[in-house]
Amino acid sequence: MSASILEVKQLTINFGGLIAVNNLDMQVGYGEAVGLIGPNGAGKTSAFNLISGVYKPTHGQVIFNGEDITGLPPHVINRKGIGRTFQIVKPFGSMTVLENVMVGGFAHTSNRNKSKAIAMEVIERVGLQRKVNALAKSLTLADRKRLEVAKALATDPKLLLLDEVLAGLNPTEVEEAVDMIKDINKSGISILMIEHVLQATMAICNHIVVLDYGKKIAEGTPQEVTNNPEVIKAYLGDEYEAVIN
Amino acid sequence: MDIVQKKKIGLIVIILAIALSIPLFVTKPYYIHVITMCLLWAYLASSWNLFCGFAGQLSLGHGIFTAVGAYVTIMLFNDFNISPWIGMFAGGAAAVLLSTLIGYPTFKLRGAYYALATVAIGSGVMVLIENTMTLGPFHVGGAEGLIVRLMGNAPAYLQFMSKVPYYYLALAMLVIVVVFSYWLKNSRLGFYLSALKEDEDAAAALGINVRNAKLVAAAYSAFFTAIGGVFYAMLIRYLEPMAIAGPMMSNEMVFLAVVGGSGTVFGPVVGGITLHAISEVIQFYFSDMAQGLHLFIYGLIVVFVIMFKPQGIIDILQKYYNRFLGISDRGEDESSVS
Ligand SMILES: Nc1ncnc2c1ncn2[C@@H]1O[C@H](COP(=O)(O)OP(=O)(O)OP(=O)(O)O)[C@@H](O)[C@H]1O
Ligand SMILES: [Mg+2]
Repeated sequence: MSASILEVKQLTINFGGLIAVNNLDMQVGYGEAVGLIGPNGAGKTSAFNLISGVYKPTHGQVIFNGEDITGLPPHVINRKGIGRTFQIVKPFGSMTVLENVMVGGFAHTSNRNKSKAIAMEVIERVGLQRKVNALAKSLTLADRKRLEVAKALATDPKLLLLDEVLAGLNPTEVEEAVDMIKDINKSGISILMIEHVLQATMAICNHIVVLDYGKKIAEGTPQEVTNNPEVIKAYLGDEYEAVIN
Repeated sequence: MDIVQKKKIGLIVIILAIALSIPLFVTKPYYIHVITMCLLWAYLASSWNLFCGFAGQLSLGHGIFTAVGAYVTIMLFNDFNISPWIGMFAGGAAAVLLSTLIGYPTFKLRGAYYALATVAIGSGVMVLIENTMTLGPFHVGGAEGLIVRLMGNAPAYLQFMSKVPYYYLALAMLVIVVVFSYWLKNSRLGFYLSALKEDEDAAAALGINVRNAKLVAAAYSAFFTAIGGVFYAMLIRYLEPMAIAGPMMSNEMVFLAVVGGSGTVFGPVVGGITLHAISEVIQFYFSDMAQGLHLFIYGLIVVFVIMFKPQGIIDILQKYYNRFLGISDRGEDESSVS
């Protein structure tokens, strides 16, 4: 078994000429939280879609927990232990919060009460207990993002892929969400998260990978990454001053 | 047992008591026949709903399942003297096979492929039956149709002289499909169908094998629909390809379920009974005035309900039901009519 829960090798996808992810190599260690950052259109979500089976790579491999899962369909990959959220949240709008999370809970039981128990526990973990019986479509954006996480968590993943769960939240909500993600990570679930909110990413992740035009241009600790001239040029640009100072 | 629970059980008992005693008050065979047809349509709409309503898939060709169920059963009975009580399971199995053959390639695709496939195959099957006189040892009858061999009063062969046993049979079938719907809706598969109805990608990301979930639900739906076709054949005692397999049959199931409230357990029942009763009444009063006038009026009613109550008649009833139980319209009690 390899040292990493997730190992991506030369991962590439070509959308009719546009190489959205280009020869990407990266790892997530067991129990680690890794950040994936990069400018808009850098290929971050595409990378998630390759890992989670939504797209089949043009080239390259995805190794999860020592097993080659390249090209498997999304539901199989989830069953193997990878949960994900969607950047554009996908709540089951006309179902309640509880029912939404129970869908995930059914991943490991066909018993309704057991699934409900799993769901209730997860709902508490993400802080949605006061909205248990609310319809998902009535939730605020912050709560919808919590719901995304809760649904994925209910499937009991070993690795959680979070696609911009902090985007669009106000500072208080970001703080709460950061604590939630840290808690999830502490409970032993490895995390790979896409984020634009840099401070928050740095608060959670000790390792960051930077993508630009589909290519990895840097990786390392938050300090290494933010001091990397390549990153400053390609991604941070003018914002760099603001972030560091 | 709390008060809400007691009220629910009380309501079920009252409805069942009324349903069971109807033949005591309604004695004219014609009226019993009309009421039986209302129950049958409620049953068929519920059967369609098992897959199409719960999973949000549009089948415009469920008539193929009534047809396959009925033809297989009647051919086995006419030519091999196999009782329809047994033959109906062969008919149901044939429908399941057909449903899987249609679903396997189309459920893999996104969009309207399934709906288009059901329309195409629906008309194909009807034309096929119309042009088939015999099939191996079986007499099919072509466009003339197939007459059910009469045996007088023969309960063992699903034939009765009186209309009353048919009424009770239809009632029993309706109760079974409602109980099954309720079970399905609250089972793991029911949750999966609700989820994939809203977003297939989100469903797959939670470990749901979307195609398998659809295939299983479609198979249930096809089986129940086929049994409805068998009942129809035994009640009418005559199979006409246009009536059992045609677009009228297919569309009617959709109308009734949607008007009642598709995707809910009781919506198709309410839609089937009320809308079919209305259609019988307007047919009675208007069909003499001008050819097809009753169909026009019927169509207007369908459009009207869909425009003003897209969630179906059940949505109105749900409010009264909640008030009766003394619970708020949203929240508290998670058990609801739908
Ligand atoms: N299914 C697709 N077909 C064609 N092009 C695609 C597809 N998905 C993504 N792309 C393109 O690939 C590139 C990378 O997109 P992606 O969504 O992965 O970027 P991202 O890094 O997640 O950006 P953002 O920060 O805006 O979410 C973009 O140019 C996008 O238009
Ligand atoms: Mg993205």
